[in-house]
Amino acid sequence: MIFQCGDLERALRTPELMPDARAHAERCEHCRTQLYLWAEISRVAPELHQDWESDRLWPRIQASLMAEPVKARSRFSPFLRLTLAAAATIALAVVLLYPRHTMPPADELLTDAALSQVQQAEAAYAASIANLAAVAGPELQKSPSPLSAAYREKLTMLDSAIAALKTTAAQNPYNAYLRSELASLYGEKKRTLEEWMKDAKRN
Amino acid sequence: MVGASQLALMGRLPTADYQSEAELLAACRRREIGAFEQLYRTHGARLKSIAYHTAGNRQDAEDAVQETFLKAYRAIDGFTGASAIGTWLCRICINACYDLVRKRQLETDRTQPEGPRISPQPQQALRAQLDQALGRIDARRRMVFLLFAVEGMKHSEIAAILEIPEGTSKAWLFEAKRELQRLLTETRS
Repeated sequence: MIFQCGDLERALRTPELMPDARAHAERCEHCRTQLYLWAEISRVAPELHQDWESDRLWPRIQASLMAEPVKARSRFSPFLRLTLAAAATIALAVVLLYPRHTMPPADELLTDAALSQVQQAEAAYAASIANLAAVAGPELQKSPSPLSAAYREKLTMLDSAIAALKTTAAQNPYNAYLRSELASLYGEKKRTLEEWMKDAKRN
Repeated sequence: MVGASQLALMGRLPTADYQSEAELLAACRRREIGAFEQLYRTHGARLKSIAYHTAGNRQDAEDAVQETFLKAYRAIDGFTGASAIGTWLCRICINACYDLVRKRQLETDRTQPEGPRISPQPQQALRAQLDQALGRIDARRRMVFLLFAVEGMKHSEIAAILEIPEGTSKAWLFEAKRELQRLLTETRS
């Protein structure tokens, strides 16, 4: 092959042509320089790696990581998390929107005395359900059966809905509708726990 | 905010060694600071160098590396493990650098509309000439050159970081070298 300056580009891409390119470069100063630079770029490049002492960088990073709020690690699958989020959103939307259309406030608002009674009863009811949950809970958490898993999921959803409703009720303490909804959710939780205990005894 | 006493305490925290990447990833997902420290010890130097060449100075490079770890800490649950953690960190770092460069560019445009960032003072040594030439070539080709020729990464890793085919990585490396060769020839003549 008669190698010419115009072949250099092709030679750089094709290692088989390099011997011809080198032979040509012995007679051609331009190509000699080009080949020299091509090789030097690869040789010198690693020297461009930059490293310097930065003793304060890791402590800075560490401080910024520790200042980050630690997200609660979810024990549930993404699908279940989505379902729970959707259920909580729907529950909240129902609670927030429904009373505006249906509730005649004058009739259904509680007086101070009635509110105090309701709150006491509600606290006692919640405490009794918490006791029930404490009795059933350890066994329920341990049980590997799919039925128990379904009960656990339902209870988690109920707890989530109760928490959301309690927050709303705290902002509207005199709203009797919210109180009755809360009571019905507590009732549902109680029934669920009782059902599971019955099933557990049967099996 | 973390106070001085907490910072002092942090300095004494023992560092854990995670034997496998899976173990390390699991610890990162538990938000164990020691796991992130191991990532820093393993990949920090390379990230700093990449950030330096992209951002242009050490202070910005360190800021970009800090931002990299913060983003990784926040996003670790979304990391599927499809690539190596180091590859993922590199990708975050490069994006953090580009964000920083854009921000700095805006600041420069506001404060110094005319001043060039890099001193035009001529450099004679080939290393310095190459360093300067590198700043003048296309950003994507520069990044491939940086990762391959400077940081010693493989084309398969570069392809994963930049989300390009391996063949493109090879082609861009060749084009980067040709462009650098042209610029160095100009400088020397």
